[in-house]
Amino acid sequence: MTTPMLEIRDLHVRIEEREILKGVNLVVPKGEVHAIMGRNGSGKSTLSYVLAGKEDYEVTGGEVLLDGVNILEMEPSERATAGLFLAFQYPIEIPGVATMTFLKAALNAKRKANGEGELSTPDFMRAVKEAGSALHIDSDMLKRALNVGFSGGEKKRAEILQMALLKPKMCILDETDSGLDIDALQVVSHGVNALRDPNRSMLVITHYQRLLNHIVPDVVHVFSDGRVVESGGKELALELEAKGYAGFDEVAA
Amino acid sequence: MTMHVPVRLGPAELKLIEQLSAAGAVAAAERLGGAGLPTRRVEAYHYTDLKLLLRAVPELAGAAEAASAPALRVAGAYQLMIANGVVQETGTAPAGVIVGKSAGSVLTTRDDVVTRLNLALTRECLTLDLDGSVDPVIQIDRRTEGAAGHSTSAAKIFVADGGSAVILETYSGSEAAHLGNHATYLALGKGAKVTHITVNLAAKAATHFASNEYHLAEGAQLRTLIINAGGALSRTQLFPRYEGAGAHADVTGLNLVSDGQHSDITMDALHAVPHTSSKPLFKSIARGRSKAVVQGRLVVARDAQKTDAKLMSQGLMLSDEAEILVKPELEIYADDVVCGHGSTCGRLDDESLFYLTSRGIEKGEAETMLVRAFLAELVDPIEDAALNEALTAVIEGWLAGK
Ligand SMILES: Nc1ncnc2c1ncn2[C@@H]1O[C@H](COP(=O)(O)OP(=O)(O)OP(=O)(O)O)[C@@H](O)[C@H]1O
Ligand SMILES: [Mg+2]
Repeated sequence: MTTPMLEIRDLHVRIEEREILKGVNLVVPKGEVHAIMGRNGSGKSTLSYVLAGKEDYEVTGGEVLLDGVNILEMEPSERATAGLFLAFQYPIEIPGVATMTFLKAALNAKRKANGEGELSTPDFMRAVKEAGSALHIDSDMLKRALNVGFSGGEKKRAEILQMALLKPKMCILDETDSGLDIDALQVVSHGVNALRDPNRSMLVITHYQRLLNHIVPDVVHVFSDGRVVESGGKELALELEAKGYAGFDEVAA
Repeated sequence: MTMHVPVRLGPAELKLIEQLSAAGAVAAAERLGGAGLPTRRVEAYHYTDLKLLLRAVPELAGAAEAASAPALRVAGAYQLMIANGVVQETGTAPAGVIVGKSAGSVLTTRDDVVTRLNLALTRECLTLDLDGSVDPVIQIDRRTEGAAGHSTSAAKIFVADGGSAVILETYSGSEAAHLGNHATYLALGKGAKVTHITVNLAAKAATHFASNEYHLAEGAQLRTLIINAGGALSRTQLFPRYEGAGAHADVTGLNLVSDGQHSDITMDALHAVPHTSSKPLFKSIARGRSKAVVQGRLVVARDAQKTDAKLMSQGLMLSDEAEILVKPELEIYADDVVCGHGSTCGRLDDESLFYLTSRGIEKGEAETMLVRAFLAELVDPIEDAALNEALTAVIEGWLAGK
């Protein structure tokens, strides 16, 4: 059996004495796209932050393996250069940091970790321009400070732009569809689908079946009260949409 | 006459009194003998208690013999130098610039010991008359060379009506425990447009005092960037005077302090006539066990209706032992004005740091990016590319721990 891209074993996480994740088990094999659905406050974003290495969370038990390597002791930057990418539910605005400066720093950090030299400015510009036009991102937006004054939809597109440039092997998309209009949803989904690859896996967190019509998942997981309570094919999303979460809470109880 | 309880004088005060007396400044010597150096009880020195902080004063500096390397080089700048208080000969001045020197100092008398010392001890000052649009950046390089010495210097700059200029002053010298006390008098004629940048790169053990007096006539536009990056103890005093309608200044300043340093920017501004405006913005970054002080006083005269003045101070703490102390003061005698002040102080934002590091950027580099972002507002308005680059290099050098 090949090593899964992501394997989460019995992960327990606390914030300020309160247990939020209560034994998450999840396996995403290489090349697959998995969706996580679950009601507000069930711990989906917490899971994505813990995977990316945010502080303030206390991991009290369990393991997280990225391509077979335990990442829980790694710094966020090390996890990123190891191939993990989180598209934030709420991307952070950083005044004073130019978007292009940031993109270049991120790309070069990855190249450095891979033992490659820095990207030349023309090569960098070309890469950004290509990835940007595929996502309908105009170059004026990239001249601004990072995420500052971007609309909700522009922020989400900028996240996917970063993902396209950094070419991670494990992508976590936290509600990338929220705040997108119908056309933008098409554009972003197209961008994400273009990145589907046998050597890349994705974990797509969403509330809406609609997104999964565009980004068709291999597996859907239902998240409830800090753990995965049900997993199934893409039809599970339709079932959820019809029945709501109530039916699944019983499974958890 | 009020009777004063005699003040116990320390070695620094005794040495200053001796130097003042030798220079014939009897009144100043008596004054210092009676009151001593200002303590925290003197409002203007509340966070910079000179009696406590100034422990020793070196002998008056003799003539400079050797010269250290220039503290800062800006490509294309016209360089002038004052070494150990003596105005140096220079080459041909660019168009619109007349360089000269005259006797004595340049500051207006005020009840302030730093000013009084500069007035009493400065023998000669550099004079600059600027007319029209002066093209190259004018750099006044002030040095204190040789063994530890007490050195005072002065420059008087007039910018003619409608003139424009970019003036850079740098303060540096040999690696000794100097005491430098420097003065600048800068008068902007009607509609003149001036950028005045000062960079304190005094030696690690040095004490650096600077006093800048600005006079703005009708419609004059001034931007300052006052950087304190050197010295064990630094205090830069700014005295802007808005004397003509339409005068405006963006008075900006930056304290960069590391372990063992104490840097103070104190502004005392006077809006003297109606329809003037100012936007003072001071930032401090402190790391290690250090202290940064910003005091801003805005005085609006009774006649100065329609004054628009907003004072802002922002601090960034990079360690637990660092202190950033801020004291704004508004003294408003007119009734139809828009004046205010604000201040923020904090650490680098954790959420922003996480976002940057989650993209693979190492923590140290991410921190540097955020510090640069904090400073962009001060450096970005400096339009001259070579000057902007030089200032960026000063900041980067500090960030890299130099
Ligand atoms: N920093 C924090 N301090 C305290 N509680 C927190 C913190 N972060 C999250 N929580 C709590 O943890 C729980 C899970 O939050 P999380 O954001 O992971 O939910 P979610 O499943 O992503 O919800 P949504 O669908 O609304 O995005 C919530 O009850 C939330 O209030
Ligand atoms: Mg969430």
